[in-house]
Amino acid sequence: MKYDDIIYLLPLLSIGVGAVVLMLLSPIKSFSINRLSWVTLFFLVFAFGATALNFGHVYSATPFKDIFSSMLITDTFSGYFSSIIITGGIVTVLVGSHYFEKANMLRGEVFSLLLFSVFGMMLLVQTTELLTAFIALEIASISLYSLMGFQKNNVKRVEGAFRYLVLGSIAGIMLLLGTTLMYAGTQSTNILEIAKYISAHPHANTTLVITGGTLILITFLFKIAAFPFQNWSMDAYEGAPLPITAFMASTFKVAIFGFILRFVLVDFHELKSIWNDMLFYIAILTMIYGSLLAVFQTSLKRMLSASSIVHTGYLLIAFVSISNIGESAATSIIFYLIAYFLSSMGAFGMLSYIASDDHLRVTYEDFKGFAHIRPYMAAMMSIFMLSLAGIPSTIGFIGKFYIFVGAIQAGYTVLAIIGIFATFISVYYYFKLIALMYFYPSSEMTNVPPLKGMTPLFIGIMALLIIWGGIGNTLISYFPGIDFLIDTARFAYQSLFM
Amino acid sequence: MHIGLLTFIIFLPLVMAFILMVLPISMKLTRNIAFLTTIVVFLLSLSIFLRFRLTDYMQFREFHPWISTYGIYYSLGVDGFSMIILMLITTLIPVGYLFLWKTRKSKGYWASMLLMQTGVTGALLSLDLILFYFFWESMLLPVFMIIGIYGSGNRIFSTLKITIYTIMGSLFMLVSILYLGVQFYNEFGVWSFQLSDLVQITIMSPTQQTLLFFGFIIAFAIKIPLFPFHTWLMQTYSNSPTGGVFILSSIMAKLGIYGIVRFVLPLFPHQYVEFAPYFMWLGVFGLIYFGVAALMQQNIKRMFAYSSASHLSLITAGIFSLNIYGMTGAAFLIAAHAMATGGLFLLVGTIEHDLGIRSISGLGGIAKKAPLLTVAFALMILSIVGLPGTNGFVSEFLIVLGLFKYNNFIGIVSATTVLVAASFMFWMFQRAILVKTDNNISKMKDLDKKEIIGIFGLAVVIIAMGLYPHWFLYKIEPTLQHYLVDILKVGVSS
Repeated sequence: MKYDDIIYLLPLLSIGVGAVVLMLLSPIKSFSINRLSWVTLFFLVFAFGATALNFGHVYSATPFKDIFSSMLITDTFSGYFSSIIITGGIVTVLVGSHYFEKANMLRGEVFSLLLFSVFGMMLLVQTTELLTAFIALEIASISLYSLMGFQKNNVKRVEGAFRYLVLGSIAGIMLLLGTTLMYAGTQSTNILEIAKYISAHPHANTTLVITGGTLILITFLFKIAAFPFQNWSMDAYEGAPLPITAFMASTFKVAIFGFILRFVLVDFHELKSIWNDMLFYIAILTMIYGSLLAVFQTSLKRMLSASSIVHTGYLLIAFVSISNIGESAATSIIFYLIAYFLSSMGAFGMLSYIASDDHLRVTYEDFKGFAHIRPYMAAMMSIFMLSLAGIPSTIGFIGKFYIFVGAIQAGYTVLAIIGIFATFISVYYYFKLIALMYFYPSSEMTNVPPLKGMTPLFIGIMALLIIWGGIGNTLISYFPGIDFLIDTARFAYQSLFM
Repeated sequence: MHIGLLTFIIFLPLVMAFILMVLPISMKLTRNIAFLTTIVVFLLSLSIFLRFRLTDYMQFREFHPWISTYGIYYSLGVDGFSMIILMLITTLIPVGYLFLWKTRKSKGYWASMLLMQTGVTGALLSLDLILFYFFWESMLLPVFMIIGIYGSGNRIFSTLKITIYTIMGSLFMLVSILYLGVQFYNEFGVWSFQLSDLVQITIMSPTQQTLLFFGFIIAFAIKIPLFPFHTWLMQTYSNSPTGGVFILSSIMAKLGIYGIVRFVLPLFPHQYVEFAPYFMWLGVFGLIYFGVAALMQQNIKRMFAYSSASHLSLITAGIFSLNIYGMTGAAFLIAAHAMATGGLFLLVGTIEHDLGIRSISGLGGIAKKAPLLTVAFALMILSIVGLPGTNGFVSEFLIVLGLFKYNNFIGIVSATTVLVAASFMFWMFQRAILVKTDNNISKMKDLDKKEIIGIFGLAVVIIAMGLYPHWFLYKIEPTLQHYLVDILKVGVSS
C-alpha cells in the first residue's frame, strides 16, 4: 500500500525535489547554465515517466491518506493534466535556455523557479481541498511573477510583472474569501465533503455556498483571462519574456482549467445551473472581445496573446454545456485543452526560438519571406497556425468539432454559431502569418537560428502530434488514432467519480 | 485491413507529394514524377469506369471506423454522378500538367498540385459528411499556396480574400452538418454523420430544414460561384497563375455543383423542390449577368472567367430543373464545360507565357504564328458555344430542353442568351487570334509536342462525347433517375 502511494506521488515529489536541488545548485559558479538545464530536464522527464506509469487505465487514489487527510488525490484526471503541465515545462526549458542565453538574462534561478511553478500547477490539479488549491495557485503564480520580472533592468518587464502581481493577488484573495464562505456554509474545505453536504441538505440555505462559489469562479475567470477580467493578460503577456508568456498562456491555463473542472464537476454538479446564464454571456463576450483584439495586432506575440482569449471563449462554451450534457462537454474541454496546448505552446515556442538577441522578431512584418530561409520551421509554424484556426487535418479541428457538437447537443446552438463566427475571424489573423511567410521573396533576415538541436526537434514532434491528432488513422491497424485520444480524455473524466 | 481502389486514387498524390518534397531532387524530376502519378491515378479511375455497374447504388464502397466516439467513418463510394466527375478530374489534371510543363520552376508548385488532387478527389468520393468537410477544407490550402506564391498583381490580398470567403461558406456548412449530426443522435440515440443515415432524420421542423438547406447552399454557391457570391471571382482569376485558374474554374467550381446534388438534394428534398424555381431563375439571371459582364472585358482571361461563371449558372439552372433532361444536361455540361474552359485557360496561359498579359486589342494575328494553337482554340470555343458535334451542344441542348419543360419563357430566355453569347465568343476569337494587326507578337510560339498530346486527348473526348453521347450518358442515367424518382419524388419529366 505504502509502495503504491509513493508511486502515485512520485511525479509531484520529483518536481518538488528538483526545484529545491536546482535552487541549491544555482549559486555554485562552476555549475554552468547548460548543465543546470540538463538537470532540470532530467527531473521533468523523470516526472513524466513516473506519470506515464499510470497511463492507460482509470484509477483514483488518495495517497498517504492519514498524513494528508485526503487533501491530495491522484487519478487519471490529474495524471492527464500533470503530463500536459510537465510537457509544457520541458518545452519552456528547451526554448527558454536558448532564448534567455540570447537575451542575456539566463541565471540558474530561472530553472528553479520554473520547477516550482510546475510543482504548483501539478499540485493544483491533484488537490481536492480549497486551501491547498490556494497555496498551489500561489506557488505557481509567485514563481511566475518572479520569472516575468527577472530581467530587472527592463522597465517594461518589471511593470508587467508588478501589475500582474497586484491583480493576481487580488484574484487570489477572492479564492481565499470564497473558501472561507464555503467553510462557513458547509463546515468543510474539502471538495468531496462539500459535495456530500450539498447533496445531503438539498433544502438548506445555500447563500453562503453560492457566494463563495461565485468568488472562486471569479478567481478562475480572472486567471483564464475571460471577459471582463481579461485586461491584465495583454499587459502581462506583452511584458513577460516570450518563453514565459508561452508557459503562462498555454500551460498555466491548462492547470487552472484542470482545477476548476474538478471543482465544478464534483462539487457543484447540482448547483451549477445558477451560474450558467452568467457564463453564457461571458463566453460570448470573451470570444467577441478576443477576436476584435486579435484582428488589430501587428505584433505576433500580442496576436497570440489575444487569440488565447478567444480560445478561452471556446472552452467556456463547453463549460456552459456541462450543465446539460455533463460527460461529453467535460470530455470536450479536456480534449480541447490538449489541442490548444500543443498548438499554442508550439507557436509560442517556435516564436521564442526564432527571436534572437539583436533583433526581436515578433511582428508580422518580420516574418516576410521566412519560408524561403527556413522551410521546415515555416512549415511547423503553419501547422500551428492551421491548428489554432481549426482547419481540418489538425487536432484543433477535432477539438472544435467536439466543443461545437456538444454545444448544439446541449441546446446552445447560438454559442456554437458565435464560436464558428469567431473561428471565421481567426482565419484572417492566423492565415496572414502563413501568407507573409510564403508569399514574399526572402527578406534580409539575419541570425535566424538553424534547424538543429533538441529544441526544433521537440517542436517538430509537437507539430507531428497535431497532424496525427487531426487525422488519426483508420488504415494502419494497431496504432492509436483519434479514438485513443478521446478515450483518454473520457477516462480522465470518469476517474473523477470513482 | 482492406484498402480499396478509391483510397489509392485519393491518397497516392498526397503520399507522392510528401515524398517529393522531402527528397532532395530537382524540380524537373519532381514534375516528371508528379505527372506520372497523375497518369497512374487516371488509369486507376479508368478501371473504375470500366468496371462500373449500371445501377443507382454506391459502388466500390470502403468503410472503416475513424472517430468512432462520434460515429464518423472513413466512408467512400462512387455512383454514376460522381464517377463522371471523377473521370473528368483525373483526365483533366494530366492535361493540365502537360500545359504547365514549361511554366513553373519550383518543387512546391507541383507538390501543391498533387495535394490539390487529393483534396478534390477525397471530397468527391466521401460519403461521410465530416470526411467530406475535411477534404473540402483541405483542398483550399494548395490553391492558397499556388495563387499566393506564384500569382501576379495584388496576389496576397486576393488569396486572403478567396480563403476567407470560402472558409466563411464552409463554416456555415459545418454548423449545418453538426446540427444534423446532433438531430440524428436525438432521434436514433447513436452518433452518425453518414449521408445514408442523416437522410433518415424526420424530427426536424421545416424552418430548421430550410435554415440548414441554406447553410449548405451558401458554401457551395460561393465555390461555384453563384450570383451574388461571385465577388471574389474576378480578382482571384486575374491574379492567379494559369494553373490556379485552371483548378478553380474547371475542377473546384464543379465540386460546388456536385456538392449540391450529392448532399443538399437527398438531405433536404422538400426544400430542394420548393426552392428549385428560385434557383432556376437565379441560374438564368447569372447566365445573363455574367454573360454581359464577359462582353465588357478587355482581357481574354477575365472574359473567360466571366463566361465560365455564366455557364456554371446555366448548370445550376439545369440541376434545379427537376427533370431528367435538365439533370442529365447539367451532368454532361459539367464535363463538357470543364474540358472546354480548362483547355481554353491553358491555351490562354501559353499565350500569356509567350506574350505577357495583354488585352484583346493587344493581340491579333496569332493564327499565322501558331496555327495549331488556333485550331485547338477554335475547337474549345466551338464546344463552349455548343456547336453540334461537340459535347457542349449535347449538354446545352439538354439543359435548355429541361428548362423549356419547366416553363417556356425561361427556356426562351436561356436559349437566346446562349446564342448571343456564342456570337460574342466568335467576335473575340476573330479579334484576338485571327485578324492581323500591327501588334508585335513575334515571341509567340506554337504548341509544343507535349501540349499537342494534351490538347489532342481533350479534343478526342470532346468530339466523342458530342457524337456518341450515349456511351457516356448510360452510366449516369440510372443514378439521376434515382435522384428524381426516389428522392425528390417528382418523376423523370415533371
